[in-house]
Amino acid sequence: MEAKEMTEATVTETQKQNGNKPGNDKQALKRRDFLKLSLAGLAVTVGPSVMWKTASSGGRGEEESPHSWAMVVDQAKCVGCGHCTLACRAHNDVPEDISWNRIIEDKEEGTFLPIPCMHCEDAPCVHVCPVKATYHRPDGIVMMDYDRCIGCRYCEMACPTGSRSFNWREFTEDNPAVPTWGQPEVARRPRGVVEKCSFCYQRIDRGLEQGLTPGVDQAATPACVVSCPTGARIFGDLNDPESAVSKALRKYPSFRLREDLGTGPRVYYLPPRDKENKDSDNVEACS
Amino acid sequence: MIPQRLQKYLFPAWIAFLGMIILGALGAAFVVFTQGLQVTNMTDLVPWGLWITIDLSAVALGAGAFLLSAAVYLLGLKQLEPVARTAVFIGFLGYTMACMTLLLDIGRPDRFWHAVAFWNIHSPLWEVTMCITFYLMVLTLEVLPIVGHAEFVEKRFPWLSHKLESIHKLAPVLAVIGLALSLLHQSSLGATYGVLKARPIVYRPSMAVLFIVSAIAAGPALTVLASKVAARLTPRANVDEALLDKVSKFIGWVLVAYLYFRFWDVLAMNYTYEPGRTEGLKVLTSGALALNFWVGEILLGALVPMIILVSDRLRQNQRLHMLALLMVIGGVVAYRWDTNIVSQLVVFTMIPQEIIPRYTGYIPSIYEIMAGAGVIAYGVLGFTIGVRYLNLVNHEQTAHEPEFIADKPAVAAGAAD
Repeated sequence: MEAKEMTEATVTETQKQNGNKPGNDKQALKRRDFLKLSLAGLAVTVGPSVMWKTASSGGRGEEESPHSWAMVVDQAKCVGCGHCTLACRAHNDVPEDISWNRIIEDKEEGTFLPIPCMHCEDAPCVHVCPVKATYHRPDGIVMMDYDRCIGCRYCEMACPTGSRSFNWREFTEDNPAVPTWGQPEVARRPRGVVEKCSFCYQRIDRGLEQGLTPGVDQAATPACVVSCPTGARIFGDLNDPESAVSKALRKYPSFRLREDLGTGPRVYYLPPRDKENKDSDNVEACS
Repeated sequence: MIPQRLQKYLFPAWIAFLGMIILGALGAAFVVFTQGLQVTNMTDLVPWGLWITIDLSAVALGAGAFLLSAAVYLLGLKQLEPVARTAVFIGFLGYTMACMTLLLDIGRPDRFWHAVAFWNIHSPLWEVTMCITFYLMVLTLEVLPIVGHAEFVEKRFPWLSHKLESIHKLAPVLAVIGLALSLLHQSSLGATYGVLKARPIVYRPSMAVLFIVSAIAAGPALTVLASKVAARLTPRANVDEALLDKVSKFIGWVLVAYLYFRFWDVLAMNYTYEPGRTEGLKVLTSGALALNFWVGEILLGALVPMIILVSDRLRQNQRLHMLALLMVIGGVVAYRWDTNIVSQLVVFTMIPQEIIPRYTGYIPSIYEIMAGAGVIAYGVLGFTIGVRYLNLVNHEQTAHEPEFIADKPAVAAGAAD
């Protein structure tokens, strides 16, 4: 695109020069300088606007996806056992000093709040990453490209939920969560890059290839959802009105973290319901 | 001031002192590069620390280069050309310092070039990186003629000297490009914080304005101060005090503008309670950073030097004048430190309906301090060498205007005091 702009402008430049009276070299030179400047100006203004179009798709030019993944955490069921965090550590090979899934206890309410990456639709981290190492997949997952990340940690400055962790050191020792809580499915990250929850994209992708349905079939569902003993986590496709997440969000009131910021998190929470209704309100979870 | 017989030891002692700090920094940098950033005191809660402050300060203090170049080649204030020469060299040192701290700070220094290869035009940091890359090229082209003009280059390599000096013809073009790039990234460094909606204390459009206005005050301040100090320490440097005085007066009036913007900015943050922002403001005005804010940033950093530099009478007292310039520089460094750190000290709990901020802390580790000190020592060493061998601060030689030279009572080294 840019090259085309350049040739067009060069043609105009030659035309203008030919149009000049002979012997008026000094002025011609000045005009040529002026044209060069405006050419540079054109490149400066047009270039980015072309780039803008490619960039504002948010992703890396991948095609559209029929899916829109989301997670629902039912606070009425979460007991804060931490199985999700351990399963996550094993399946994603996360060291002990990093957690892709923090659990905060609300002592006043007696509830628990597990915090994975929110996979925001308008993710601040995706906006600020200088090298597009973190980007949107068409299905909504906020990905990390560990081969591109330069480790500037600007995404950590930008994340409203503190879901990102930096590899301050190299993870070389054995993973204590393996094999009790599962086997690693992704490569360990090198020292010096930022990592975070990935909605277990590797399980989703592999499952879809095998014809499974993420959120229904265990092998295609994020490890934290599968490992939850109380069924407090639901995963599924928001584009499918019959998916467990769509149904749960229709049936119960829900909230998202820091909704005031307008980042559109893909993790929803169902607040605890009245005690007497608790037993009848069994949210449909993946078995 | 210094006994005559000790004078000859002053320079080697100074170089040895700086060299030791740099050696220590090289050791610290080696540890950082081999062990990784775990040797720093940065955490996931405070991911940007001392090095980012040095980076921000070095860029701000390098702002004299674009301002004085623009003044000389765009506004036609030709008499400022010798000052611009010094400023350009200081700018070059400042921007290389910024690159060094960034290289230390990023987790994967081997991928420093990624920002140039993989663009995210939404990121202020990408824009800053690109601008700094290009501007460093501009500064290099502006510095090469100064190197070519040096006595030993002229004598030993006349052909090289001629080549390098011929680059100076580009000066007006470079001034235009430098102005554009600097206006972009000096403000975008503020926007780097200004776009962070997760950190309410810095999530303000005013960040960009405050960063560039403070840089416009601090950049020339360093240039003038360095020139004045050099002229008082070595006969190799001589300055035209009347010329520098004009720049200082300009700095004074920029501080007036800066304080005006700053006042409204801080006042506007008090209109209503905003979770995180109000707490951040409290950390600044009455919490851990209160002394730094009121004394370092406002009182000594802007208010007092503003009064000294605006007043023609007070400016005549050279000691007071130089002290004021030093305070401006300190004030901007304090502002950068506070801005960077305050945004990270207030942390939100995520419990809904209870957005209660908690507080965290940060004190740089010995490796961060040593490496940071080495980067600063490099800058000082570069300037020292520039003064001694590149004829960097010489207002007699390069002034072109004949009438200007005629009425000049060559106020040289220490004569004013």
